[in-house]
Amino acid sequence: MYKGIEASRGIGIGSICLIVEHDLSFESKHIDDTEAEKARFNSAIDTFKSETAAMAENIRKNIGPKEAEIMEGHLAMIADPTMAGEMTKMIEAGQCAEAAVTAVCDMFIGMFSKMEDDMMRQRASDISDIKISLLKLLLGIEDVDISKVAPGTVLVAHDLTPSMTSQIVKDNVVGIITEVGGKTSHSAILARALEIPAVLSVPNITELVHDKDTAIVDGTEGDVYINPDGEVISQYVIKREEFVKAQAELKNFLGKKTVTADGTEVELFCNIGTPKDARKAVECDGEGIGLFRSEFLFMDRPHLPTEDEQFEAYKEAVETMKGKTVIIRTLDIGGDKDIPYLGLEKEENPFLGYRAVRYCLSNSDTYKMQLRGILRASAFGKVKIMIPLVTCVEEVRAVKALVEECKNELKAEGVAFDENIEVGCMVETAAASLIADMLAKEADFFSIGTNDLTQYTMSVDRGNANVAYLYSAFQPAVLRSIKNIIEAGNKAGITVGMCGEAAADPLMIPLLISFGLNEYSVNPVLVLTARSIISKWSKEEADALAAKVLSLTTEKEIVELLKAEAK
Amino acid sequence: MVSKIVKVTNEQGMHMRPATVFSAAVTPFDSEVKIKFNGNEYDGKSVMMLMAACIKCGAEIEIVCNGADEEAALAKAVELVESGLGD
Repeated sequence: MYKGIEASRGIGIGSICLIVEHDLSFESKHIDDTEAEKARFNSAIDTFKSETAAMAENIRKNIGPKEAEIMEGHLAMIADPTMAGEMTKMIEAGQCAEAAVTAVCDMFIGMFSKMEDDMMRQRASDISDIKISLLKLLLGIEDVDISKVAPGTVLVAHDLTPSMTSQIVKDNVVGIITEVGGKTSHSAILARALEIPAVLSVPNITELVHDKDTAIVDGTEGDVYINPDGEVISQYVIKREEFVKAQAELKNFLGKKTVTADGTEVELFCNIGTPKDARKAVECDGEGIGLFRSEFLFMDRPHLPTEDEQFEAYKEAVETMKGKTVIIRTLDIGGDKDIPYLGLEKEENPFLGYRAVRYCLSNSDTYKMQLRGILRASAFGKVKIMIPLVTCVEEVRAVKALVEECKNELKAEGVAFDENIEVGCMVETAAASLIADMLAKEADFFSIGTNDLTQYTMSVDRGNANVAYLYSAFQPAVLRSIKNIIEAGNKAGITVGMCGEAAADPLMIPLLISFGLNEYSVNPVLVLTARSIISKWSKEEADALAAKVLSLTTEKEIVELLKAEAK
Repeated sequence: MVSKIVKVTNEQGMHMRPATVFSAAVTPFDSEVKIKFNGNEYDGKSVMMLMAACIKCGAEIEIVCNGADEEAALAKAVELVESGLGD
């Protein structure tokens, strides 16, 4: 068995097609008939351009416009006067086309690969891709036509270039193995988009296999087997069936409402960090956005985002969701984040310090820019405002007063917004949990942030390995806190959601059903999984389990019981 | 010859897309368009050279145009950079 990086989930069993690296060496010679050489070069460039354009179009249609940008970048680069232009000059001076291509590309590869910037270094590999394609055209080397491989093929390559990936026919390729690349590499992204199991970065795999060898690709675990015995194959055939069945079952939940086994409907939303993520939420069948973190607008830039910039970003997410709820959490930052223009001082205890709503309320001009941006976006769909790190009632009142101020200003300016916009609070501190009944009278909704609630309730810094063992949402203290918050919200008749990781945890879900959670907000990729788990529990069963859990006194016992009873 | 110093304000600096937008917009002008940055001079009509210059957000660059339509070329180039290069 060989180990690699699990890059695209699933099991593939099939016959290997080894994509060999070609020998691209050539003899550098002096050219006398430079016109003929230029014609040979230009025809290679023309073929390159038309092939690349076709690949870009192919990727755009079959995978998406974002993925096609890489090929479009190749086109822009080759069209550049310093690329084909410089190459032509060298040919005119008597160099052969292969030497000209190599010299110019290598110069740029050297230049870009030395840069500190990751994105710029990526350009070096783009140029290398261009160089290889041009040399193959000039030397008349034909690649294996990936689009024509037989059904049941496992592709093995040193690296999967975008040009190779664009030719993959999903029905014929059952697995991908490469020697380089990680989870965020181009090949990983494309493999996941095509739902083909892939294991990347398997050392020397191209030297260890031959064409037609049998291979098992376990893209969930990152394992690869070459010519395994019958027993291993039959194990993996079963595993593959289970995976396919589970995926198919999940697909049955596409487009369905989220209901418990006894028919109670709940909302299943997504957590997002940028407006573009909203598209992902729609693709994954999220029913709304339960947490839109607004920090991205403020990070990695030299100055405060203007009201208009913020408005545009919020509007983009709101329009993408087409009338479905979008809950925007206002700025949640503190001394732990490096945002120079905010002038926040480094603090000894940033998580207990000047941050989130505390910072916003004492910088009301900055805060009002954000609130106005959100209010303006509310004219385009259903938007809610969420206040982070609330610890006392005054904070909610103060934010609501600022929201009123902004509304009056906008009204005077004749700008449209939703008059009935809801203002709710994150419940993520021990203080907020203890006064949840009082907050419920001021806030229009609650959202429980389990990550921070666990950290603040257990007084534990989860980044500190010595105490990380205490960091668990299944600690009796945290569970009691969650129960208290949900019950206080239900009693006051306001919606209670949860936007921490726990909302998608199969062990936590039955407890949340029992406590009466109304809205689950999860990572977009977990929507169908969460919907499937919620559908398996009735209130009665969940209540019985919750009663047992709440009688236990240690986290260990609780997790053991939940695992034993998990569906 | 005309020139102007401007500040690059788009978040990512002169990356692939902004560089493509810039070079595509100035290429139709007959004038030469050069970017002076960090003591070097780069061809503003070349995507590759613009990227190679490694111009980051917040950097000050001098745009130098030389030719028959230099005024129009400079005006276009300055407007592009100041508006964030399509980012």
